[in-house]
Amino acid sequence: MLGDIINPYHLQIVSFILINIILGISIYITLSSGQLSLGNAGFMGIGAYTSALLTINFDLPIFLGIILGAVVAGVFGILIGIPALRLSGVYLAIATLGFGEVIRVIFVNWESITQGSIGLSGIPHLGRELFKTFKLTGFDPDMLGLKNNQFIYLLVVLILLLVNILLVWFFIRQNKSRVGRAFAAIKMDEKAAESMGINITYYKVLSFTQGAILAGFAGALYAHVMAYISPADFAYHRAIDILIFSIFGGSELIWGAIFGATFMTILPEALRFISDYRYMIYGVILIAMMAFRPQGIIDVPLLKWFKKSLKLKRGVSHGIGTKKYN
Amino acid sequence: MVLELKNITKNFGGISALTDVSFKINEGEIFGLIGPNGAGKTTLFNVITNMFSPTSGEISFLGEKISGLKPHKITDKGICRTFQNIRLFSQMSVLENVLVGGHCRSKSGVINSVLRTKSQRKEETNSLEAALELLELVGLSKFQNSTAENLAYGQQRRLEIARALASNPKLLLLDEPAAGMNETETEGLFDLIKKVQKRGVTVLLIEHDMPFVMKLCDRITVLNFGKKLAEGTPAEIQNNQEVIEAYLGAEEDDEIA
Repeated sequence: MLGDIINPYHLQIVSFILINIILGISIYITLSSGQLSLGNAGFMGIGAYTSALLTINFDLPIFLGIILGAVVAGVFGILIGIPALRLSGVYLAIATLGFGEVIRVIFVNWESITQGSIGLSGIPHLGRELFKTFKLTGFDPDMLGLKNNQFIYLLVVLILLLVNILLVWFFIRQNKSRVGRAFAAIKMDEKAAESMGINITYYKVLSFTQGAILAGFAGALYAHVMAYISPADFAYHRAIDILIFSIFGGSELIWGAIFGATFMTILPEALRFISDYRYMIYGVILIAMMAFRPQGIIDVPLLKWFKKSLKLKRGVSHGIGTKKYN
Repeated sequence: MVLELKNITKNFGGISALTDVSFKINEGEIFGLIGPNGAGKTTLFNVITNMFSPTSGEISFLGEKISGLKPHKITDKGICRTFQNIRLFSQMSVLENVLVGGHCRSKSGVINSVLRTKSQRKEETNSLEAALELLELVGLSKFQNSTAENLAYGQQRRLEIARALASNPKLLLLDEPAAGMNETETEGLFDLIKKVQKRGVTVLLIEHDMPFVMKLCDRITVLNFGKKLAEGTPAEIQNNQEVIEAYLGAEEDDEIA
């Protein structure tokens, strides 16, 4: 029964959506302290190549590879984040875009290790490797009425979903705390934030690095879901795509990045039947968006309205709301 | 003695914004800093909080040298300020603004915040209580959930004071707190600053509203063209010939006119 509904192609799209959500959150976090980074494609590439090379050449378990990929991207995040403190706005955007290109060019030219523009193939696949482990325990997907292929893609989606839920939970909590308030204060007025005792160096590097770690993490997941990567996957158009996720969805809230990544991943697939025009429609939607709703689809008033109507529907008032302050 | 400035000089290129300014502020005082426009008053605030470092001279706070410390460290030591052109976090709620002000009096980092550990929750409750108490003090309790930019001008000035007080300062720097206020609002501000003084906070304020300054301050320093012109009690300042000349022009000018 389950086997009739599940379509590996759809599952593949869902896993792209989930990876793109992580990328969207990575830029949302950097933006939340007022820094516009276009280097996240570069960090993504670092994560992807690190994990891919470690698992291919040293037979490292995938999970360890992914974590190391995120860590290495994070280290680069700190190294870039500190000098980037002197820059802001478009200057930071250009500098980080330059960084991303440097990384891509290194992947292209360091052929002995990265195999140049041909890219790395034969990267252990997250789902298949897990499937092998399951098989060892004597599990057969037939027990669920699934074909091997369906089961593998389903596993990937479930893992990514779990990761996504954890990340969203993490950043919502961070956002509602002293750290989140410091990010927001720096975004709104850096000088005033500093005068209020906020160590802006620390918090700006923190948010930049968190963004880099997330992008590296997403990149590593991407490598093990695609099983093949090449430098072109991490070119500047990827950086723009990531930025669009957050800007289109609404950069004020984490839900904006989530919505943006979901919508922008589904759109080209949904428009596949008019293949020649789909990127034109994509472009028109972006232009209309910037003209009519520059803050992005999801903003604070919309979220408040949504919460309110949800409460009205339930018809219950949850206390007088004395403890509600954020 | 809370604050001591020794021979502070600040040059911007060839222009000297402050020349050899020295004064001391005693504990619990309300100390006024006045002078004509461009006299260097706000520059002096920026030097004290080290937004600009002084070209020469030394600043000590509670007997400890603070010149050269980063601005956020200075706030941590116990000096906090407001701004002449209001600089609230305009899209945050009123309450959040005050909570940010308490930043350096709390410690929870990322891990504690995400896990909501016991110490973090306690800290948040304490910050919240402190913030609510300060909003009560400045009379903004019922606006706690409003967005800061939607407040009236006078309320925004009060919110800036509450935000600065949230860092639990020993010395509060107020940059023209009465600017743009009407008479009733100024009276309210007068009472507020007196209340702040009663909490044991020393106040240094820049203000152009002379009746307000003369009534409020214990001592006053007058700056003119970056130099200290006079220092004394309000009565002494009002009768100081040089000060009168700086504000109204010298006698000779009057005769010509």
